[in-house]
Amino acid sequence: MLSYLLYIDPGSGSYLVQVIAAAVLGVAFFFKNIKLYIKAFFTRTPKKPNDNPPA
Amino acid sequence: MPVNYITHPSSYRDPSGFIFVKEDILYRQVNKSFQEHYDLFMSSGCYDALVKKGMLIPHQTINENLTGNNEWYTTLKPAVVPYISYAYEWSFDMLKDAAILTLDLLKTAIEYGMILKDATPYNIQWQNGSLVFIDSLSFEKYDATKPWIAYRQFCECFLSPLLIAHHTKLPVQELSLAYSEGIPLPLTKSLLPWKSRFSLHTYLHIHLNAKYSTGQPAASNKTASFSKTKLLNLISSIEGLIQKLQLPESKSTWSDYYEEASQRTDYLEQKQQIIKQWIEKTPPLTIAADLGANKGEFSKLLSQKNITTIAADFDAYCINALYKEIKATGEKNILPIIIDLSKPSPAIGVNNNERDSFITRTKVDLALALALIHHLAIGKNIPFEKIAELFQQICKQLIIEFVPKDDEKVKLMLQQKADIYTTYNEEEFIRAFEKYFVITDKQAIPGSGRTLFLMNKK
Repeated sequence: MLSYLLYIDPGSGSYLVQVIAAAVLGVAFFFKNIKLYIKAFFTRTPKKPNDNPPA
Repeated sequence: MPVNYITHPSSYRDPSGFIFVKEDILYRQVNKSFQEHYDLFMSSGCYDALVKKGMLIPHQTINENLTGNNEWYTTLKPAVVPYISYAYEWSFDMLKDAAILTLDLLKTAIEYGMILKDATPYNIQWQNGSLVFIDSLSFEKYDATKPWIAYRQFCECFLSPLLIAHHTKLPVQELSLAYSEGIPLPLTKSLLPWKSRFSLHTYLHIHLNAKYSTGQPAASNKTASFSKTKLLNLISSIEGLIQKLQLPESKSTWSDYYEEASQRTDYLEQKQQIIKQWIEKTPPLTIAADLGANKGEFSKLLSQKNITTIAADFDAYCINALYKEIKATGEKNILPIIIDLSKPSPAIGVNNNERDSFITRTKVDLALALALIHHLAIGKNIPFEKIAELFQQICKQLIIEFVPKDDEKVKLMLQQKADIYTTYNEEEFIRAFEKYFVITDKQAIPGSGRTLFLMNKK
């Protein structure tokens, strides 16, 4: 059923490229997130006392 | 049962259904083979979400088999698009927005358990000042174990032209016309600078993709495991890459035209006054074309009157600037496209009727051809009669500016080439145009030596 709907040629190696690209990106985004987390940790502005909502 | 309908010549690839015209109304038939996917698309809330976000053209469901076809499941009547344009006529930022729209559609579809099964800019058109997806049969049930079937098509149709334009800093519309189904990845790879492979995202989606898409099919057909997270990472990577691409502003031949033209007394103002006064007198206009629109000063005059206006110019930088401006201001009536009137877009595709030519598609109530005639007649050596023949195929009414030979701009053009234009004068211009048009008014633009003509098609 589904093969009937594959009317565009996805390219013989297109699936494989996506598998490889997704694996590489998974690693890249993992380290990017760590980098962003560390950056956010050091650049975050300290809370001012008056930031606390009134009791 | 007598059935009179015409199938749209470009609607033959996808077995899910087809577009047809019956009694001048455009419909889309959904075939039985696509029933499961179509029903899911409607019942999952995907259709409603996309229409609500203004990303998909709405349709009306008509439960009647208008074609008499055995494959019929249901009939849709989509909302009307005022003018069909193609990606090879779009400016850089318009194609970029179309690419982002495709990825946004894909992400929204995934949320509803659907996926886009194709990714071509022909499925995107312009409506009410923004881009909208027009193919409601492009959504099928999402199988998270499989990668995106339209990935290579997306890279060839959107990513390739955008990356080439970004790196070469040159418009690529003619290349997109030559490769109307997408620029092959090996070609894109060879046109990009060597350093482009140091961008992880460009390397993955172009260089690596080119290497594998031309290779032999994988030894076994078993699909390596894929997941929704992997697909979302892939989309995020492509989207991040596209967002960074840009066509630098360039001082093209005509980009300073208005600044310079406005210095000539109050030439532009006088011209606007005459045109405004003529438009007031004409019968109500629905659609118009501003040919040689430059940055669209006169297109705005028409759009203010709520007239859908196709602003066409051969200068890709001017049209891109106009596109960015109308996007920023929320202008809804102007569609800027890149057209060289000395070689307007041809009819292409199967049987040469899959994508219509510019002339076949463009039928307007009024055309403006301001400060254009000398570029065609002297710049491109096109005789007046052929220019008149072009306009009469496009419009019912014409406002055209005649620029005499002793005009500064014409003198400047003639400095670069031999003056072989012995018949370039107002009498010859009138004689040629009167073959196709009736001149109903004529007014000199004070202080410029130029004349505006109002004509009706015979």
